Amino acid sequence: MASKSKGAPNKTKSGGFFGSIGKFFSNFVKRFVDGSIGTKLSHFIFGAGNFYHKQYAKGALFLIMQVAILAFMILCPTINGTPYGYKALLNLPLKNVSEGGEFDPATGDFSAGSDCKLMILFGFVTIAVIVIYFIIWNKNIESSYKADMDRKVGKKPTTLREDVETLFDQKFHITMLTPTCIAALVLTVLPTVFMIALAFTTYNSQDMNDLGTNLFHWNGVKNFASVFTGEGTLGVEIKNRFLPVLGWTFIWAIFATLTCYFGGIILALLINKKGLKGKKIFRTIFILTIAVPQFISLLAVRNLLGEYGPVNTVLQSIGLIKEPIGFLGLHAQDSELLAKVMVILVNMWVGIPYTMLMTTGILMNIPADLYEAARVDGASTTKMFFKITLPYVIFITTPYLISSFVGNMNSFNAIFLLTGGGPAYQGYAAGGTDLLVTWLYKVTIDQGWYNTGAVIGIFTFLITATITLVTYRRSKAYNEEDTFQ
Amino acid sequence: MKRLIVFLLAIAMIAVPLVGCGGGNEGGNDAGAKDDGLIRVWVGEESAEFYQKTCDEYVAAHPEFGYKIEVKGMDTGSIAGTITNDPTAAADIYTVAHDNIGKLASTQCAKPITDETLIAQVLADNPESFRKVIYSNLNGTTYLYGVPYISQALFLYYNKSMVTEEQAKSFEGLREAAAAAGTKAITVTGDDGFNMSFALLAQRVSDHGTSVKIYEGADPASGGSKGESNCQGDDTVAIYRWLQAFAADPNGFKWASSDGWDADLDKSNLGVLAVIGGAWHYNTAKAALGETNLGIALIPTFTLTAESVEGLSGVSAGEVYRGGSFADCKCFMINAYSAASKYAKEQELIMYLSSKDVQNASYLECMNVPAYVGAADFIKQCYDQGKVTESQYNLAAMQVSMAEWGIPQPFVTGTLNTYYYSKNAPAVLRAIVDKTSFPTSGDIIIPETTSLEGIRKALYLVEYLWMHGVAPKDFPASLPDKA
Amino acid sequence: MSNNLRPMKIKSQSRNRRVSLGITYTILIVLSIIWLIPLVWIVLSAFRCEYQADGTFIGRVTSNFFPKAYGFKNFSDLFSATYYGVPNAFPRWMLNTLIIAAIDCVISTFLVLSVAYCMSKLKFKLRKPFMNIAMIIGLFPSFMSMIAIYFLLKSVGLTGNPAHPEYSIIGLILAYSAGSGLGFQIAKGFFDVIPNALVESAKLDGCSNFKIFRKIILPLAKPIIIYQALMSFTGPWMDFIFAKVIIGADNPKYWTVSVGLYSLLFGTHPDTNLFTQFAAGCVIVAIPIVTLFMFLQKYYVEGVTAGAVKG
Repeated sequence: MASKSKGAPNKTKSGGFFGSIGKFFSNFVKRFVDGSIGTKLSHFIFGAGNFYHKQYAKGALFLIMQVAILAFMILCPTINGTPYGYKALLNLPLKNVSEGGEFDPATGDFSAGSDCKLMILFGFVTIAVIVIYFIIWNKNIESSYKADMDRKVGKKPTTLREDVETLFDQKFHITMLTPTCIAALVLTVLPTVFMIALAFTTYNSQDMNDLGTNLFHWNGVKNFASVFTGEGTLGVEIKNRFLPVLGWTFIWAIFATLTCYFGGIILALLINKKGLKGKKIFRTIFILTIAVPQFISLLAVRNLLGEYGPVNTVLQSIGLIKEPIGFLGLHAQDSELLAKVMVILVNMWVGIPYTMLMTTGILMNIPADLYEAARVDGASTTKMFFKITLPYVIFITTPYLISSFVGNMNSFNAIFLLTGGGPAYQGYAAGGTDLLVTWLYKVTIDQGWYNTGAVIGIFTFLITATITLVTYRRSKAYNEEDTFQ
Repeated sequence: MKRLIVFLLAIAMIAVPLVGCGGGNEGGNDAGAKDDGLIRVWVGEESAEFYQKTCDEYVAAHPEFGYKIEVKGMDTGSIAGTITNDPTAAADIYTVAHDNIGKLASTQCAKPITDETLIAQVLADNPESFRKVIYSNLNGTTYLYGVPYISQALFLYYNKSMVTEEQAKSFEGLREAAAAAGTKAITVTGDDGFNMSFALLAQRVSDHGTSVKIYEGADPASGGSKGESNCQGDDTVAIYRWLQAFAADPNGFKWASSDGWDADLDKSNLGVLAVIGGAWHYNTAKAALGETNLGIALIPTFTLTAESVEGLSGVSAGEVYRGGSFADCKCFMINAYSAASKYAKEQELIMYLSSKDVQNASYLECMNVPAYVGAADFIKQCYDQGKVTESQYNLAAMQVSMAEWGIPQPFVTGTLNTYYYSKNAPAVLRAIVDKTSFPTSGDIIIPETTSLEGIRKALYLVEYLWMHGVAPKDFPASLPDKA
Repeated sequence: MSNNLRPMKIKSQSRNRRVSLGITYTILIVLSIIWLIPLVWIVLSAFRCEYQADGTFIGRVTSNFFPKAYGFKNFSDLFSATYYGVPNAFPRWMLNTLIIAAIDCVISTFLVLSVAYCMSKLKFKLRKPFMNIAMIIGLFPSFMSMIAIYFLLKSVGLTGNPAHPEYSIIGLILAYSAGSGLGFQIAKGFFDVIPNALVESAKLDGCSNFKIFRKIILPLAKPIIIYQALMSFTGPWMDFIFAKVIIGADNPKYWTVSVGLYSLLFGTHPDTNLFTQFAAGCVIVAIPIVTLFMFLQKYYVEGVTAGAVKG
């Protein structure tokens, strides 16, 4: 819904980006000069042109929107003592902040200091509202100008009813996408932008504690510099723990993806073996781990593997071990390697059924004549598996491999519920089995080191985005997206 | 042009509601929330019902009070975090452990208490140790912030079927019982600074003597002086050497398992025979051992061995110490964002809820151990009258007695004490017990704590963290014994 | 291959086959047992009803896999208990979750289908950019935005609102369904398979795009509708982190069941003696979800496969 998308004669792709911007502005001049008095007025009062053309409903809608936004900008509604509107824009540089703390014992009046995080958040919301204001402004002029043109050629300006009708036909995509766009803009894009912005601030509960203040300020790119110098809470944590965590995240993602992938294919082959009875029962048993919420199933596994759990008890009673083993690195002195192996193994328990389900359908679709031909050539079952089945399945499921690799990089539950990121590294938030995503959780939600979390989040994003884009752009699904249909 | 519906929706969603609810909250930070005729109170989860009932009765008996009261039960461990995350959504009156007072006051989540009669009641009822730690500082002025109403301290739970009452009196006795049972003697409920305080805060049995000082002489109110701290006296070093030996003993100390300390204590697992814990562990301990098997006692004594005092001048072998404890109190506090018009009534309500009568009633109904001076008499009286069971009596009595062997977690100037936790002092103490070196976060590395020198350096690090909130840049050339 | 060898080979092949079938059965049964053990253990714990000699109930984790006594005590306690000062909290949490899941299911499914349809069957200028943006946004870890979402919802009174704590349920529904439209890829993959010719011919007949969507696409899309509905319905039953931040730690009455159950066991001063009650709660939560999965397995597989193959 970029603002340049209208401009009636803009169909040709010629002008390029700057060309279309130039056109966009020349359009304004043209509309102002050529337009009727209504169109001219529309530049100042929304909907004036529509009223001029007797499109009252439409005009009223524009006017209401202008009044609402201007009211929002001028009245500055205040939440938690932090204003929206023009005041939010003034607050955005975080210069004009108050320490607060004035207290009047007689009345109980207490004034708290500025809330910098809300100042930033509300500043961004206000900017978004301003952008929307100008989009509506443009639409309102456009609407009036089109009515002018319609008049000129002797047509009646379109009624609201006709407009609504096109929204269900030629412009159906707008109707369909609008709810998602608005919801995603407000509750996904804006919060994400806000959190990215925190990477450029000193918003870190530890540092603020050290300085004895509630306030924080913009910090430019110093946070990124301190990743290399190791200064401050952020620097110490990221400098010493980023590479180990990143490395383990990759190792984990590779092992988790491959073990579940091949495990799933093998399981699917076993279950779909010709002549095997009770296929459905077996499949149902394995699907259980998908259907049961992970905080239940993984927690059960964690307790089974506990120091007094059945596994350790059995191992001790048959004399294999003397002292119970800390499988999951829940103590600082437990083995990190063992914890890593265990999470990969337990993850197979969760992940294999998923691939199994998926490959079942694909296996059934392998053209039978491929096998027939191979059989005529006297190929063995093993050979057929490696020469036909596996290549076919891999070919079909490459996109899945990629998405599950990225999915595993962000596999929060498996780590959080099993090891909690342990064994802990004293002095750091990130433990031995922490992935980037669980690290991010600990740093922001547990510790309140928001700038550190934002920096980690940006790094995580850059890595996953690179992997996804590179592989996705090369994949058939992307390149042949249109030819497929 | 045909997209106007789109924008109608967009604006309806974004702008209109904002404008709509803007009016009510206008007025900036000064007014806080508006006065809706309701006072909201957050207390510990276990006593929510009791306080709701008590408040309702109070409102019924005092029609002129004029406010309705709504009590909610909260997870007491995370309550301070919830409040600092969004104080505007927190209750008008909330309750926290006293060591959060500094943090809540300095982050402007709490409002001072100024009512003269309430202050008089607080000063009259509470022991000196509590009176020292409920003040904080606001822009240079000292105010009372917290009103104590529950006391909390660590004591000993033990397995009566394996340990005699006599054995439970000393670590040596527990070890003897553990050797007979082929298991470990004792564990703690967690390796954090609070649960590990028994060693650092141990006191000589003969005269309650210890060289450990934390912010001693500090005026917690003034914000200026940090007082004096000392964690590396010869006695403390000797105690940690003794604990190292006790932890290395096959029948000595162990850390709680990852299944929880209760799995260790469990009758069928028999991982340990005793555990140092608090009143809030009672239900779990009871489930692990059964009520009749559950013994409750003071944290035991231990005798310094010749090895542990070797090379130290300030202590002698054979000296008997008793494990100490942070003896904390939970306090009522007023939310800074609560409407000013409620201020007087809030203080009136706190005055009632922290009165001796309500504290007593909360002991009988929720096993909250009262904080006021002389609560022990009331507890004894209840037991004599058969109002509480023996273990319920023991629980409270031991906790009250342990208060004599402990100090409240001290704090000065806002957040300084929180560094003790956030800058890993407890992990350093744990490293000493485990005889490992301490891998710090790039700040400073202490050597293996097997040597006298190593232990002293580690304890110096802890002391420094208490005092300065950061690790030292380097160790002094020689660490003097301040004892 | 000479003629006289052939019967021999068939015979040995069938014996081989029987042996290999036997091996397959063995492997599958062993695997099934491994897969079932943890789940069975939770169910057993839910029905465990053990007491100490003096009558103290043992609700904590114990090392014996099989309980020494069975009963329904955990279930009856669970339903009548007061948690966090909320009387009968568990049924309340179940109800909250049901409401949230049901509404979220409708909204999310609608959003996903509408976006997927646009991306697959309508041609418009910003289609590719939209798809790329959606994918990029999806790559940001969602924890990053939780705090901001809380304060945005708070701005409009939909959470952290002491006067109307129940509004936070609406807030959570919005938070759950807001981003759902961006996860359209699987449904798009499904729509892509529907021949364009079908759409074109309807257009020639003068059908509007809306009519095509309603009369042609939707009836064909039943499997993917069910898949999406299943996914968005089960989501709220499984999430124990996002919901707690949005609804608020101080608002236990309006928690979802997974937040409630998780907090029971992992509060800061947890009462570990509630483990068997936790297990009972898990069984009750798992039953409807597992049942749904079992009944809708076919559609689930279809959705998973569509997603996997199309990426």
